[in-house]
Amino acid sequence: MCCWFFLRRMGPVLLLWVAVCLSGSWAVDKGNFKTCDQSAFCKRQRAMKPGESPYRALLETMELTNTRLTLQLINDNNKVRLLLELYRLQGNITRVKINELKPLKPRYEVPDVLIREPPTEPLSLLSQDENGVVLSLGAESQRVIVSARPFRLDIVEGRDVLMSLNSRGLLGFEHLRMQEEEKVEDGMWEETFKTHTDSKPSGPSAVSLDFSLPGVEHVYGIPEHGDSLKLKTTDSGDPYRLYNLDVFQYELYNPMALYGSVPVMLSHNARRTMGIFWLNAAETWVDISSNTAGKTVFGKMLDYVQGSSETPQTDVRWISESGIIDVFLMLGPTPRDVFSQYASLTGTQAFPPLASLGYHQCRWNYNDQEDVRSVDAGFDEHDIPYDFIWLDIEHTDGKRYFTWDPHKFASPKEMLQGLQDKKRKMVAIVDPHIKVDTNYKIHNEIRSRGFYVKNKDGGDYEGWCWPGSAGYPDFTRPDMRAWWASQFAYDQYEGTMENLYTWNDMNEPSVFNGPEVTMHKDAMHESWEHRDVHNLYGLYVHRATAEGLIERSGGVERPFVLTRAFFAGSQRYGAVWTGDNAAEWDHLKISIPMCLSLGLVGISFCGADVGGFFKSPSTELLVRWYQTGAYQPFFRAHAHLDTPRREPWLFGPENTALIREVIRQRYTFLPYWYQLFYLAYQTGEPVMRPLWVEYPQDPATFALDDEFLLGRDLLVHPVTEEGARGVTAYLPGKHEVWFDIHTFQKHNGGQNLYIPVTMSSIPVFQRGGSIIPRKLRVRRSSTCMEHDPYTLYVALDNRRTAEGELYIDDGHTFNYEKKELMHRKFSFANGVLSSVDLEPNAQFTTKSWVERIIILGASKPSMVTLKTADGENQLEFDFDASMSVLTIRKPGMNAGADWTVTLQ
Amino acid sequence: CSFLSSEMRFHIITAAFLWAAFVESRKIRGISSSYKRFYRERKSFLCIDGSKIIPFEQVNDDYCDCADGSDEPGTSACPRGRFYCTNLGFRPHYIPSSRVNDGICDCCDASDEYNSHARCQNTCWNLGQKERAYVEGQMKTLDEGLRLKQQLIEEGVLLWREKQAQLRELQRAAEDLQIKLEEHRKRKHEADRLKEQTLKALKAGDRGKAPSIFRTHFKTFAHFAELFQFTQLGRQANKLTILHLTHLKIARLCLCAASRSPLKIPPYIWRALFGNTRGAQSQQRRIVNLSDLLFCLAAEWEAADLKKVEEAYETVNMEISDLQKKLEIDYGTDWEYLFLNGQCYKLKVYEYMYTLCPFNTVSQKSTAGTEVSLGLWGMWAGPAKNRYSQMVYENGEPCWQGGSRTTSVTLTCGTETGLRSVKEPSKCQYIMDFETPVACQPVLKQRGVHSEL
Repeated sequence: MCCWFFLRRMGPVLLLWVAVCLSGSWAVDKGNFKTCDQSAFCKRQRAMKPGESPYRALLETMELTNTRLTLQLINDNNKVRLLLELYRLQGNITRVKINELKPLKPRYEVPDVLIREPPTEPLSLLSQDENGVVLSLGAESQRVIVSARPFRLDIVEGRDVLMSLNSRGLLGFEHLRMQEEEKVEDGMWEETFKTHTDSKPSGPSAVSLDFSLPGVEHVYGIPEHGDSLKLKTTDSGDPYRLYNLDVFQYELYNPMALYGSVPVMLSHNARRTMGIFWLNAAETWVDISSNTAGKTVFGKMLDYVQGSSETPQTDVRWISESGIIDVFLMLGPTPRDVFSQYASLTGTQAFPPLASLGYHQCRWNYNDQEDVRSVDAGFDEHDIPYDFIWLDIEHTDGKRYFTWDPHKFASPKEMLQGLQDKKRKMVAIVDPHIKVDTNYKIHNEIRSRGFYVKNKDGGDYEGWCWPGSAGYPDFTRPDMRAWWASQFAYDQYEGTMENLYTWNDMNEPSVFNGPEVTMHKDAMHESWEHRDVHNLYGLYVHRATAEGLIERSGGVERPFVLTRAFFAGSQRYGAVWTGDNAAEWDHLKISIPMCLSLGLVGISFCGADVGGFFKSPSTELLVRWYQTGAYQPFFRAHAHLDTPRREPWLFGPENTALIREVIRQRYTFLPYWYQLFYLAYQTGEPVMRPLWVEYPQDPATFALDDEFLLGRDLLVHPVTEEGARGVTAYLPGKHEVWFDIHTFQKHNGGQNLYIPVTMSSIPVFQRGGSIIPRKLRVRRSSTCMEHDPYTLYVALDNRRTAEGELYIDDGHTFNYEKKELMHRKFSFANGVLSSVDLEPNAQFTTKSWVERIIILGASKPSMVTLKTADGENQLEFDFDASMSVLTIRKPGMNAGADWTVTLQ
Repeated sequence: CSFLSSEMRFHIITAAFLWAAFVESRKIRGISSSYKRFYRERKSFLCIDGSKIIPFEQVNDDYCDCADGSDEPGTSACPRGRFYCTNLGFRPHYIPSSRVNDGICDCCDASDEYNSHARCQNTCWNLGQKERAYVEGQMKTLDEGLRLKQQLIEEGVLLWREKQAQLRELQRAAEDLQIKLEEHRKRKHEADRLKEQTLKALKAGDRGKAPSIFRTHFKTFAHFAELFQFTQLGRQANKLTILHLTHLKIARLCLCAASRSPLKIPPYIWRALFGNTRGAQSQQRRIVNLSDLLFCLAAEWEAADLKKVEEAYETVNMEISDLQKKLEIDYGTDWEYLFLNGQCYKLKVYEYMYTLCPFNTVSQKSTAGTEVSLGLWGMWAGPAKNRYSQMVYENGEPCWQGGSRTTSVTLTCGTETGLRSVKEPSKCQYIMDFETPVACQPVLKQRGVHSEL
């Protein structure tokens, strides 16, 4: 949560200030956050207009080894030389690095984000003359052309230019210099925003580069923004900003920075998907322009008919405050290729404990143990499943993390045991700001070890946050992270048990009295300025915490840690939520593109606060939000301290029933969710994905962000309009069929389908051609359902075939890494449904069996036969001719067995 | 369990059935005795909702056939099913089918976990004992509570009567005061008139007229002397200088009024009243002047007197309306809640001290000392059948996010009267538990512990 609550306690001046804010419209106070014009480096760089680049490649300096090419660039205006490095990486990725040839001091290169030094592949020289060189990028006809004067890079496949760098001449590289060296512009050596002065001891150090994408009209990614899935052009306003900030009551549909940053952009057209990964952790701005942006559909058609048009093109420009240019060009060509390319660089989604895919009940705050007990009992009384109950900051002893309020939470183990007895779990918050209090062990240890971030004068940096004056541990230090992790040990963090997990909030970091509510850029992380590492801070907090949870179990148990701030690579440490949203219909709508954008850049475990954090939702909004959240990866209800209670049973029996029903639906799909997360963990494919990822050649899908796919097989179009009587869902795939999961009604793909809705409707469709395993015996928690039998939903496509998978393991340990898992493949063809082992080397046994097979789009068989290793027997079945649904009764085989079911 | 073992289980169950058939019809897991008639062993089973007929072997075979879940009372197969815990020694009850074999002991007789890892103990006897002890305690509390309630009802009636009497008395006093008030108004009116007259006469220079007016109205002023105990005043004349000016004026007045011949007044009184004056003549003149003054002062005095009576009248009326307001509140059918009005009850919860003054206010005081109103008496808010089970206090101090603090007080039966718990589930919404014998209801007595034996 944001500084809201704190401010009201900070005395009359702030109160007045808040009151002034309140009196205006309900929205973010934009004046608290910089525009590009107010950020000196952005203003300087953006002032540079496209034109001929002053940079020239010095071909005579070229060195080509087996794995890389290096080359010096010179800026003809100031004669400063840069060093260009070019690598061809495994999996169709090209890496371009540009640094000063001889910087005054080292410039920051982002560590710990790449999972390893990316393996290279040989580069070979195709041709060279005085204008440039041509290198081959491997077997396909891909080449990179290095032009010398002016310097530019073009990546070409056959006759097509895929991407050009510095083609608009916007490469900018502010070399490090002595202050007296040359004329000083405003904001180069000092910059003031509101009351905060940034001392800028290193002077100007910005970097920027432009990328042109011919043939591209759609770009995505660069979260986190409260904006549409398809990124907008930024010519008429500010660029998209990447700078992790605690934004109070954020506004939607604008490019302002939010809590996290992933500097990855995807481009897509019907022929190719690519990605640009700009590895820089400093404040970054991204400009997007397009030559078709202003044109109407008619205008585009006219161009096409007249044949006169230039090809559509999107131009992108990245600007960062410090560091170097280190960019990974992920050349696709398919969306899946881009996901795997990005995963090969930064890793995949951490495979979460199964229980964390269940429903989470959170509130700021559950007041005491009795409150926790009664909310827990409420779920049983109303027969609603849940897996996690959450405790926000008030559970601590005076906002001292790793402690419990001695009165309200006097016996936390007793409370945790009570939850454990029902196979349920808890999450307690641990924020990175540490109360400055000499009676607080954590503070004393961090201070005595010198682990705090330092201010520009070398003392411990102090800022205001929940506890009042607080220090900020330097999570960029491995020794600090190791110490932090050790604090989660059961003997260190008193009152904890294995069913207690962690939530990292405020890790942008949030500093209530800092510039833009965050840390001063001239604060020091050992030898680096905060400026260099800012966007990484949250990732490091998340990482150290996740490592702590792993360590406390001796490396056996999977952690679950939720974070608000994030960076490229954060997917490796757990879940992310979209921060402090509000109980408004627009915030419900935006949860879809926000999570889709995160999924595209590797962070699959995403969710928005169900119900909205600020303000109080209408009952209709709350129900619709549950219906939407139940089909998003991280499913947690949360509410602000100042809002009335909203546990699911507080809105009358009808609404309780609606909410119960949708949470139960979530639980029936847990096997599918789990399998999707296993896939995400293995491949980097997003769990929740935009339609274009699966239908890359269908332009109708490119901008859709009011519906989405879960994996390939479930299409969800939540109802996000107040008072909706119906929704229009686009069912993709001309040759596909889609089955309504509730009615089993079959619809053809490639059409807009109008679906009348009531309050109980959640338009969800299963793709014909898929098999989804579900567990229909919904119990108190996911753990209670562990040994339950499966129902297989076989949805036949037009060729009367279907395929699907089932993944099972123990649900909570890392033993899957030792192949203690079961991965089955189901296929249906020619009237035979079979289950085969996808991982014959793996070992896992399950008690679960198959209790029911439902075949959608089937015809009536005369006989159904099950064949297992034990022999053959006939199965009972029931056929519903009106919907063509065949239900096979109790085949009974173990879920891990090889079997076939034959329809005759 | 695997396919094999489920089959084995089936055989075991079948064997058990065959054995049971010799004794009586077999026992169906998860049903109460009242439902046995639906499960009489035949060839087929009709779902209780009548929707489907299935072979009897499919009852409790761990597969849901009936939409109403009636074919699987003993397994977790049906989403809408329920399982009957017999709980011998304790209270029988239904649990959702989803709690059968989920590894959590729900029935105290452990019957819900017949095929799980959970090692459930039969705790029904212990629970039953505890429950019986608890219920016994509750019954005792209830008996005692009801006894106390009876007392409080009696006291309430008395209190009610007392208050009514008090009201009547006040009303009578008000009536008296009203009469007095009218008298005083009349008198003041008269005094005002005389004053006017005198002033007019003085203005006209007709000095001689004044004494005659005085004489004419001598009677009107005669009682001043009595009122102010002239003789007493005379004796203490040396202290007169310290008397309040009004008193002094009045004393002068009385002096004149009471004595036809001012010459008889002892000199020391003169001195005290009028300072050092010389010569009888001037004294005589002064008296004449004083008689002019008299009329002015009489009007003043009458006004002061009237004000006093008016104030008294107002006070009494206020007391009446306060008491009426208090008596207008619904104190229950027998005025049993009346005694709470005027009392305050305190409870410390964490860092706050809460105070409930029934029918008046609720407040919270932090250790720092600031007191915040959590609401003023609003109304009874219990459900229709027991509206005296809950009170609502509204319009407390405003909240940050708009609205104002409210408190809802739930009244529960107990032998003592006091605040038992305070919670703030959401900001600015408080919930209190208030225990008192008057909340005890005889109907509770009908509940007890059933045990199926």
